[in-house]
Amino acid sequence: MDTITVNGKQIDFLSGETVLAAVQRAGVFIPTLCHDERVTPYASCGVCVVELEGSPRLVRACSTMVAAGQSILTDSPRALATRKAALALLLSDHRGDCRPPCVEACPGKTDCQGYVGLLANGEYMEALTLIKERLPLPASIGRVCPRPCETACRRKLVEEPISIAQLKYHIADHDLRSGAYLPEVATDSGKKVAIIGGGPGGLTAAFFLRKQGHQVDVLDMMPEMGGMLRYGIPEYRLPKKVLAEEIALIAKMGVHMRNNVRLGTDMTLDGLAQTYDAVVIAIGAWKSIGMRIPGENLQGVDGGIDFLRRVHFEKVDLTGKRVAIVGGGNTAMDACRTAVRLNAAHVYTVYRRTKAEMPADAIEIEEAEEEGVIFKYLANPLEILGENGIVKRISLQKMRLGEPDASGRRSPVPIEGDIEIMDVDLVIMAIGQQNDNTGLDGLSLTKRGTIAADETSFRTSIEKIFAIGDATNRGADIAITAIGEARMAAGVIGSFLEGEMLPYRAPVLVKREDLTESDFADREKAARVKMRHRSAKERRSGFSEVNLGYSAEEAKREASRCLECGCLDYFECKLLDYVNRYGVKPVYPGEARKYAVSDEHPYITRNMEKCVLCGLCVRICEEVVGVAALGLVNRGFSTVVAPEMRRPLKETSCISCGMCVSLCPTGALLEKTAQKPVPVREELTKTACNLCEARCGIIMATRGDLHLRNLPVEGGLLCEKGRFAFLNGETSDKQEAPPEWIVRASSGKGSSRT
Amino acid sequence: MRIVIGKGSCGVAAGAGKIEGIFKAEGFETGITGCIGMCYLEPIVEVYDSDVSGNEAKKTYVNVNEKAAREIINSLLGKKNQAGKYGLPEEDAAILAGQKRIALRNCGIINPEKIEEYTARGGYAGLKRSLALAPEAVIEEVKTSGLAGRGGAGFPTWFKWNAAKNSSGEEKYTICNADEGDPGAFMDRAIIEGDPHSVIEGMLIGAYAMGSSHGVVYVRAEYPLAIVRLNIALEQARDAGYLGKNIAGSGFDFDIRVKAGAGAFVCGEETALIASLEGERGMPRLKPPFPAQKGFWQKPSNINNVETYASVPWIFSHSGREFADIAKNSGITGAQATGTKVFALTGKIRKGGLVEVPIGMTVRKVIFDIGGGIKNGKAFKAVQLGGPSGGCVPAELADTVIDYQSLAKTGAIMGSGGMVVMDEDTCMVDVARFFLDFTCKESCGKCTHCRIGTKRMLEILNRIVGGYGEEEDIEILEQLANQVKEGSLCGLGQTAPNPVLTTLRYFKHEYRDHIVNRKCTAKQCKNFICYEIDAKKCKGCGLCKKDCPTAAISGEMKEPHTIKTADCIACRRCKDSCKFNAVKVGDRKWIQ
Amino acid sequence: MKEQRHQSLDFSLIEPYLARKAETAKNEGGLIAILQKAQEAYGYLSTELMEYIAERTSIKPAKILGVATFYSQFKFNPVGRHLIMLCQGTACHVNGSSEIEDAVSSYLGISEGETTEDGLFTLNSVACLGCCSLSPVMMIDGDAYGNLTPRTARKILDTIRTSEGEVEE
Repeated sequence: MDTITVNGKQIDFLSGETVLAAVQRAGVFIPTLCHDERVTPYASCGVCVVELEGSPRLVRACSTMVAAGQSILTDSPRALATRKAALALLLSDHRGDCRPPCVEACPGKTDCQGYVGLLANGEYMEALTLIKERLPLPASIGRVCPRPCETACRRKLVEEPISIAQLKYHIADHDLRSGAYLPEVATDSGKKVAIIGGGPGGLTAAFFLRKQGHQVDVLDMMPEMGGMLRYGIPEYRLPKKVLAEEIALIAKMGVHMRNNVRLGTDMTLDGLAQTYDAVVIAIGAWKSIGMRIPGENLQGVDGGIDFLRRVHFEKVDLTGKRVAIVGGGNTAMDACRTAVRLNAAHVYTVYRRTKAEMPADAIEIEEAEEEGVIFKYLANPLEILGENGIVKRISLQKMRLGEPDASGRRSPVPIEGDIEIMDVDLVIMAIGQQNDNTGLDGLSLTKRGTIAADETSFRTSIEKIFAIGDATNRGADIAITAIGEARMAAGVIGSFLEGEMLPYRAPVLVKREDLTESDFADREKAARVKMRHRSAKERRSGFSEVNLGYSAEEAKREASRCLECGCLDYFECKLLDYVNRYGVKPVYPGEARKYAVSDEHPYITRNMEKCVLCGLCVRICEEVVGVAALGLVNRGFSTVVAPEMRRPLKETSCISCGMCVSLCPTGALLEKTAQKPVPVREELTKTACNLCEARCGIIMATRGDLHLRNLPVEGGLLCEKGRFAFLNGETSDKQEAPPEWIVRASSGKGSSRT
Repeated sequence: MRIVIGKGSCGVAAGAGKIEGIFKAEGFETGITGCIGMCYLEPIVEVYDSDVSGNEAKKTYVNVNEKAAREIINSLLGKKNQAGKYGLPEEDAAILAGQKRIALRNCGIINPEKIEEYTARGGYAGLKRSLALAPEAVIEEVKTSGLAGRGGAGFPTWFKWNAAKNSSGEEKYTICNADEGDPGAFMDRAIIEGDPHSVIEGMLIGAYAMGSSHGVVYVRAEYPLAIVRLNIALEQARDAGYLGKNIAGSGFDFDIRVKAGAGAFVCGEETALIASLEGERGMPRLKPPFPAQKGFWQKPSNINNVETYASVPWIFSHSGREFADIAKNSGITGAQATGTKVFALTGKIRKGGLVEVPIGMTVRKVIFDIGGGIKNGKAFKAVQLGGPSGGCVPAELADTVIDYQSLAKTGAIMGSGGMVVMDEDTCMVDVARFFLDFTCKESCGKCTHCRIGTKRMLEILNRIVGGYGEEEDIEILEQLANQVKEGSLCGLGQTAPNPVLTTLRYFKHEYRDHIVNRKCTAKQCKNFICYEIDAKKCKGCGLCKKDCPTAAISGEMKEPHTIKTADCIACRRCKDSCKFNAVKVGDRKWIQ
Repeated sequence: MKEQRHQSLDFSLIEPYLARKAETAKNEGGLIAILQKAQEAYGYLSTELMEYIAERTSIKPAKILGVATFYSQFKFNPVGRHLIMLCQGTACHVNGSSEIEDAVSSYLGISEGETTEDGLFTLNSVACLGCCSLSPVMMIDGDAYGNLTPRTARKILDTIRTSEGEVEE
């Protein structure tokens, strides 16, 4: 039998087939965007180029006939360069958001749009499992996260962002009440990993490493697990019970947890490295930073997290005391609101800029104000004055705002001679945290004194030892950042334990950054569904949780506000798949074509800003369906696929078979769904259509109880009924004749039936 | 006495119609002819006079305006006149001497609307000779001649004919590509307008050799006059029995239809041309199958361009050997191709027009000996060959021999024959940008590399000439250019980067000047220049001030004026309006 | 012709040609010629006109629009009384055609491809008029004007506009 050589390996081929078909049959991958076996080769995308020995030019595998003795290189440097150039060029003319801004803004890359959308469709379980693909502590994090997702949420261009975090813990609370999901744990790998630190980062690393089947021991210096979530976040924000329940689930997966063991005294890095196959340092940053002002060492001066921890362990009573908290972040808010609850007479928050520049969450500031905290803006402590070693007064330098600094915030400038002296009993410095490096001997540190960890592999300077979270690199950050790093590190460590360490690579995504209010002017306004919460009066008197949660109806209503920014084709988009498979960078930025989205058709949404002009839709409609409802219009860079005579698609000869959508490699053509649209990984089930005699094969795409789409089988065809009738609930067994075009196309091109 | 007026499109554009009218109004009979190639001298009027012994003498008048026409009429009437002032200067007469006119052999000499003038000069003799030969012998003769595709690619003509001949099938098509797309070339039009029968005869000979009985000429829609003259010629050829059934009693049947293109450069690519002939979008098709196997309507088809077909009759009325020896007989050695090539000599050249020279002549000879050198005494910088698919040959390579291989070595191509001369005032980055703008608009839009790649290249070039270029742009541009060449399916995309790559090769310093020094050496790019008034020359007439659209000019009457650079938009109106040549172009100052 | 320009629903002008060619157009590649005839008759191709051609030729409407929009010759909006074709050939470019374009479009207040509000002028760029030795060149209603400067270009348009004004008064 005649053979060809592919990447040095001989393979058989069938006469009359293309290089693409022969190579793919042999199991070697060649990407293509414009080819489909159901239509004639077109060779436009330029992605399937391969090197053919003896040919001066690269050839397109989709349209080159195979011939005996050919020698083909599918991934030669030359072919790769040209393939990558095609992908980079297509990327440059592709407008949209592969992922929504909320997901992109989340350091943990939690799929906000996904779980919000699933929740809107009532899919609690699916929403929860989706969350847990990224985040094992959603009930806790949903309560404490400063929510970069909501800051990024585009709904703010309509009125207010979606309450993403509250929806997240609504889903998680529901789960804790109703069975508590446990992920599947892979079979025992025989590898052992030690995690030092049982905070959000350490617990997350434990969760994901355990899922992979490794034995995981979490070693923590405190009496209980949870780290800063437990010892740095007050009860009224995160009830300990909720945290404990989520930690218990991780333990239930088989993670071993040991408390009261401290690095440097109870164990050493060296020792751990000898006992375990890998070690993750997730010790956080537990030392408060001082201000280096006179009087800092007086009795009655405390650090923010130190104060919060003290409250955890001791019965602190501030009745009648005047308390000044210095700082403007969430820890400062936690401290001042805790002080209120401990019955302090006066609670001041001293911040050197104004409210507008305060890094704390707006809601925290607002609620602190409601609870009676007095904010002293544009003031900076100069000295803490004491008597007999006990704090008595604090002198404040009054400030004004000057020029913006490197961070873009206007920097405070002292007003000469304007000094205020306040009587205080307790000063809490909540201006930042740093590492306690005890027991880290031998590890390379950064200039800031944090652990130096590689940003893509989380490796430290010592073999086998990885580090994540607040203790590393840039220092303290929010919990979800540590969680994100923990998940990525778990992936890297997994590959390390398997023998080849693969660093984490952030995917290349297309993003839109040019949207303004006017782009959403046509959206109906729907105010945020406010979560019920305790009154300020009630709050002041105790540590009960402030927020009271959403009802199922409220949650659904709030989730339904989502604008669905992220591309609905994210999980199927071939362009995105290839771009990331080949590590293509957006190296050719430039003007992209602009078109309005058309969704007038009952089943089909068209977004030509995502079209790669592969022509598959035009060709299947003309060649196979025999309709030509779509055609190419204009030429060159302005070429676009348009319905006949540029009319709305539903007013053309379109027969709504949806074949165009089935062949579209990107999100340019999409099916409408019966539910709120949400991009999720679908479960595919092969079945047969029973709406006519043809009994065409169908792939049913579902998620949970959602029936999302009916698709033709690979290489097959479906008519309007098979494709869309389920949307109207049509299911009965029918003895009708199939449409003429299905009969014609099936007989001409082999069977499309199962 | 005969009066012949040059009425090619160039002559018509220069006002030949009006001149013709003047002669007719005075009762003179006038004849017409096509383009003689000296377009810069149009309108041209020729007066043929027979002396007592019947010998015809010709007087040529050039740049004939209304006044000149009157003077010529006076001279014809024997009145006192100054017609002599308009006679063809000797220097210009010499232009023809350096040429070897084969494809253009009748252009500007015969009346294209009269078949008898064509036959009187040996027309259709080549056809008759070829019909007496076996088809194989015809192809052999073409092979001997070494004739290669004059559309630009230079593919051996005999090979294509032979492939079509050997393709099985009753129905075969002989197609003439007259979709001359290079925006600086017009020889195909001149040939059809000036000597349509030469194309018809060439197609006939090819069709006979290939066994084809259907001919199609695909003409650019922008050439209405060519279509008219071609249709007249076809009608006359049918009447004379050169088209139709049993041509010249040989048993060979052949006829030709004319199809007008509709404005798409890519249709010069043969598979796109076929798509267009079939009434489709002119998008190139996959090769193989090649047109010789499956072309027009999936039938074997042969496509040559106008100049190629027009050269064929000469080969048969003379011989293939003679055609092959043209260079040798013109004293040229070392040419790696045979015959002649027509060039449209334009740009900053003194004597622009159509010239036909033996292949093997140097670029320098064409520009300086035939074209008379650079206009206005400026310095020669480069010559662009092959239009949007070609590249530029810098002055230092002016001794490059004109043949397919030697030109390819410089990065340029022979192309269809556009030869645009550039002088010191031409900005080479702007030239590259100009061509990319063209190819970007003309890309059919099918291949990713061409559709988006040319757009991105154009954006980078626009940035550079606009003053926003960055140093890495040169590298990105070069790398992208190579990818567009590599990844495009048809000739348009594969060659579109050539103007960029050759300018990058020879004039990278000009790119750098724009990007690094924020300067356009040629003082062409608007964002890099400003206008200044030479106080010594300015008479304070105020004309420029009146014309300035941004009120950037100030000054008292009769006092030297000044231009406020910040307000100047470099529209050049002041320079145009100044009667004292007091407005100069300066470098715009930049704040980095 | 001018009178018919806006009556896009009256197809009689193209009828005689369609009567001869419509049936064979699909199989003989006659679509472009039909579109050319239609544009010659009506000045531009309206949607209705293209749909009528689709009906008569049995060529799919999407195909007709695809072909028509591929070629630069076809116009989809009414054209002004005077058609200015500005040569963008290489020779014209190196001899300053961009300055002519600036002058013409600022004088008329329109860009390439547009028609003045009074319907007097339509400005089109063309690849090459083939009068390279006269560059820069423009052609107005079939007459070529060569060796242009921004000043002479404006003057030419001025003359045409003035003469139009006189006719109307």
